[in-house]
Amino acid sequence: MKTLNIVGKSLRRADALEKATGTATFSTDLNLPGMLYAKTLRSPHAHARIIEIDTTEAEKLLGVKAVATWKNTPRLLFNTSATMTFTLPNQEPVLDQYIFDNVVRYVGDEVAAVAAISERVAEAALKLIKVEYELLPAVFDPLEAMEESAPDIHPCHAGKNIPGEIIKIPMGDVEKGFAESDIIYENRFTLPIQKHVQLETQAAVAQVSPDGNITVWSTTQTPHPSRIILAAAFGVSQSKVRVLNPPYIGGGFGVRIGLSAKAEPIAVTLAKLTGKPVKVVYSREEDFIASDTRHAGYVWVKLGAKRDGTFQAIELKGVLNGGAYCSFSCETPGVMGAMGLSVYRIPNVSYYGHSVYTNITPAGAMRGFGNPQGMFAIEQAVDEIAAQLGLDPLELRKQNIIRVGDPWILPYSCRSTGLEECISKAAEELNWQRRGTMNEPGSKILRGIGIGVGTHVSNSWPFCVDYDNAYITVLQDGSIMVATGVPEMGTGTITTLPQLAAETIGIPLDQVGITFGDTLTTPFDIGSHASRTLYAAGTAVVAAANDVRRQILEYAGDLLKTAPEHLEFANGLIKKQGLRDSECVGSGVCQLNEVQNFITMKDLAYHAHLRNKQFIGIGRTTPPNAPPWHAHVTEVEVDTETGMVTVIKVAAAHDVGKAINPLIVEGQIEGGVLMGVGYSISEEIKRDAKGKPLHTSIHKYLLPTAADAPEIKAIIVETNDPTGPFGAKGVGECGMVPTPAAIANAVYDATGIRFTELPLTPERVLKKLQEKNKNII
Amino acid sequence: MFQGYYLPQSVKEALDILANHKGQASIIGGGTDIVLDIQEGKKKCAAFIDVSQIPELQAIEEVDGYLRLGAAVTHAQANRSALVQKTAPILAEACSKVGSLQIRNIATLVGNVVNGQPAADAAVALAALGAKALIEDGKGQREAMVEELYADVGKSLIDPTKEIVTALLVPVQKKGQGSAFIRLDQRKALALPMLNVAVVVQLDEKGECFEWVRIIMAPVGPGPVRSLKGEGLLAGAATSREAIFQAANAAVTEANPRSSALRGSREYRLDVLPILVKRALEVAVTRAKKTDGREG
Amino acid sequence: MNLTTLQFVLNGEETAIVVDTSDMLVDVLRERMLLTGTKKGCGKGECGACTVIMNGAAVNSCMIPALKAMGSVVETIEGIGTLEKLHPLQESFMDEGAIQCGFCTPGMIMSAKALLDSQPHPDGKQIREAIAGNICRCTGYVKIKKAILSASEKLKG
Repeated sequence: MKTLNIVGKSLRRADALEKATGTATFSTDLNLPGMLYAKTLRSPHAHARIIEIDTTEAEKLLGVKAVATWKNTPRLLFNTSATMTFTLPNQEPVLDQYIFDNVVRYVGDEVAAVAAISERVAEAALKLIKVEYELLPAVFDPLEAMEESAPDIHPCHAGKNIPGEIIKIPMGDVEKGFAESDIIYENRFTLPIQKHVQLETQAAVAQVSPDGNITVWSTTQTPHPSRIILAAAFGVSQSKVRVLNPPYIGGGFGVRIGLSAKAEPIAVTLAKLTGKPVKVVYSREEDFIASDTRHAGYVWVKLGAKRDGTFQAIELKGVLNGGAYCSFSCETPGVMGAMGLSVYRIPNVSYYGHSVYTNITPAGAMRGFGNPQGMFAIEQAVDEIAAQLGLDPLELRKQNIIRVGDPWILPYSCRSTGLEECISKAAEELNWQRRGTMNEPGSKILRGIGIGVGTHVSNSWPFCVDYDNAYITVLQDGSIMVATGVPEMGTGTITTLPQLAAETIGIPLDQVGITFGDTLTTPFDIGSHASRTLYAAGTAVVAAANDVRRQILEYAGDLLKTAPEHLEFANGLIKKQGLRDSECVGSGVCQLNEVQNFITMKDLAYHAHLRNKQFIGIGRTTPPNAPPWHAHVTEVEVDTETGMVTVIKVAAAHDVGKAINPLIVEGQIEGGVLMGVGYSISEEIKRDAKGKPLHTSIHKYLLPTAADAPEIKAIIVETNDPTGPFGAKGVGECGMVPTPAAIANAVYDATGIRFTELPLTPERVLKKLQEKNKNII
Repeated sequence: MFQGYYLPQSVKEALDILANHKGQASIIGGGTDIVLDIQEGKKKCAAFIDVSQIPELQAIEEVDGYLRLGAAVTHAQANRSALVQKTAPILAEACSKVGSLQIRNIATLVGNVVNGQPAADAAVALAALGAKALIEDGKGQREAMVEELYADVGKSLIDPTKEIVTALLVPVQKKGQGSAFIRLDQRKALALPMLNVAVVVQLDEKGECFEWVRIIMAPVGPGPVRSLKGEGLLAGAATSREAIFQAANAAVTEANPRSSALRGSREYRLDVLPILVKRALEVAVTRAKKTDGREG
Repeated sequence: MNLTTLQFVLNGEETAIVVDTSDMLVDVLRERMLLTGTKKGCGKGECGACTVIMNGAAVNSCMIPALKAMGSVVETIEGIGTLEKLHPLQESFMDEGAIQCGFCTPGMIMSAKALLDSQPHPDGKQIREAIAGNICRCTGYVKIKKAILSASEKLKG
């Protein structure tokens, strides 16, 4: 294998200096001349029709420049999520949103927006808008929303309030598989609403030129799909719309795959009405109540095994709470089933899943995308089988996990897996043998260890359209510009993609510039999500870099009178094979046409320039997909008198293919783990009886602080996936996937109680402990 | 929003400004709560009189058997003060639990009391310690026990548009005393507690019996709630597990917690409260026996 | 509107700016002085993105009425280092991988700086306590804690 100079190294992030000095620009920092500020009036009701809306008093307020409602904005159906732009041709994208509608479908739904000279004036104007509502019946639980008596939230063809299609994934014969099983475990699991709480709230600044060209700076994770959505929502051609990040995004985690909730269309609407740039920044409360959440819902699992532990059949069913509008509510249940059924080698599998419209905040994409919900159920079922058969949960997993080339339900192959190594390394980190011997009899404070494993995707195919493009332009001094449509939302894109380009071409990293996250300057790409950015955009960048490298070697071959395959190209130097670097002194370019042995990239590029030539590489790829694998082992402590669960440590071993930048990979794992810990023990949005959300601030919504975070040990396991750039696979979402199950299994180990509902709040845990004690007495 | 913001340099100046505004201005310390309430439209106030820079309100000192904390003393200052750690260790501890360090650097102990919130950590510890507030209104000075300043949830008997709390007086910990502060919280920072319990015990010379005990629980009523029954059961009793168990169970009968969708149901709080009281008493007894009353 | 001139020392410079009485310090810094390094993530003192150092203590600038800063010494992320000589925390945050999306970073560094200014060699608990009011959703805090430790060691040597 070729020695790597740049790939595989923990190099400092390209955006580190800007971010460490406070000079990095985010959407919320933008300030354009003449810019107005917008605020949005939101529905206090879960479901209502707007009978009358009177904005005259608001419009009269000094400093107010425009008020937008359903009456004066385009009535073109769209969908804020990027699913509108990349739903596969065999399905219909669900279009169920207007910028403003005369029906509101959740507490927080948009009613009107005001543009004014300051946020304070805009807020004052909101109070002057008079709205008369006719209340409609509302429903909040997905199972209730499927009942005949429930209100129809949107027209649906697959079933009562079921958006899009019902996902069914069959393989083998599950009835036969269960009949042949010696042991079967089945149960229903309940999942809460989790919120992303990315640090930068949804935000956009829009500017409309006199000739109608629209420019939007925003927090979107997907500039190109966002352009498509905005063009459709405003009925203009895509060529009239530019969407870009400014250039940084304060986190994403899936909350803005597509539009940043409605920040972009509200900003554009008001920019069109006023002729001025308009800035929309969601308050934290708005971000909580009116921007996508994780899908809550129910997951049923039934797992059958032979006495020796061999899995025979699995049946998985998911009914997810999609909320009031369909944001990835078709794809999320699909990924839950497809991933959940692809971890173990089981001959008979079946999945049935869908979302359901309800009158709550829309649920959409969030790190893990249905997979943590499914694995919470599956991994606890696996532990139950182990317990009932008296087998070590580690060994049972190793016995059943998918191996390279195994048949599975996915339309791409498993070409790499390091899962067994992940299981061993995570278990070793936490000293797994202690399991079962950690507690003194009668102790009120109990410790336990648990495991959860899983897989995920490295891009969106085959769940939606997923192709990628990149350009690489060689500049006249031999440095290069990479152009890629993906954004930088913290995941290291603008560091790792240049690493790939520099390594592939053979030039130093400091010779690589990058333009990204801008529809004007980059080719189409579906954005940063699905753990795909490094894998999919990386594949395109590598293809473009190989294209450049080929062109350069051909040119150099002519110049050095050597066949390209007999040239070496590394560290910015092209030379004949076997020549030592120390022999390559001077520029290498000979004005007298003497045959040379070497040439620097710098001289070659300029040499070409003087002869009317520039090297431009194009990468156009439809990357397949590849499974990352992960095993988490956690240690927990349970206070049996208060029900308090404390996570002590999480060892997270991840097969990431090749770690292009290990420091960045570790960061992705660690962040995902802590988000999973929060999901497991404290994070939850509850509502009152009228559907009003109760957890609407960081103070109320209990995501972990630095004082709460357990020790997290990220362990990188490298395999080499032949489809990924330098063997790399996805990692961004994976830290989230097995964490809830690993924690629930550890709590089971500590207490002997199986918890089927998240989060494991002290109250929920104490209740079950009390029930258990009652049964003993 | 507010139209005036004053930073007086003396208590007299503060009281003069207060009088001039005739009820339209409010005394604030750190202002961390009221500024938010005003922004959210929950409260209205024309002007703030910020007492945080008044030199005479800055001191933390020991005076005549009392720890005297000026009204400008912040949670962070009290938490770090060697004097507070020595003379009122649970106050120092409770002061480390409020909000976050950024908030504790601004929010004052007096504000924690005057805000009227039942689960305010520092106020719970102050009530257990038997602290008094010194109050001035321009006409004279009065004193009141901290736990007697609560009118209702979020409502103090102190009227910040008419009077100013100048200091808190906390009896310093004496020989044979021990104390404990227990907070049941779902998150270790940036969160209100599900339950708070603070106790102070005075043991007899042999360290075998309780002379007296103060037990404070929150949020189980409009302010920090004293368990008079629990205290009564323990006064004179041996420091046995049984006595503590009985007192803890008695204390619960004096608690009237609300059900909170955010911080636990009434049932849960009633289930866990005796455990916390028991644990707090056990820790306090151990500390009382171990030390001469003073930590550090 | 009720305008007053706020005078204070900002990043080492005597500064005067006319503010509205009810302006918050964060808005004066960001909107009026265009010091957008200080971020606004919640406006309620719950996320720490707006942390600045006032008279030596880390505070949420979104909870500080601008006039409360009258006569104070305020430091923001823009004032703690120069490109030629970065603050050791800025260096260690970059080197240890403590930065991801970067939105919490300025506030996080300011909280860490306030800690190291008063306690140059903190232990793990002191570090956790100092940054518990700074929410980060990207990193799991692992590399942030490491970066603060590493900066404190640099200050030793």
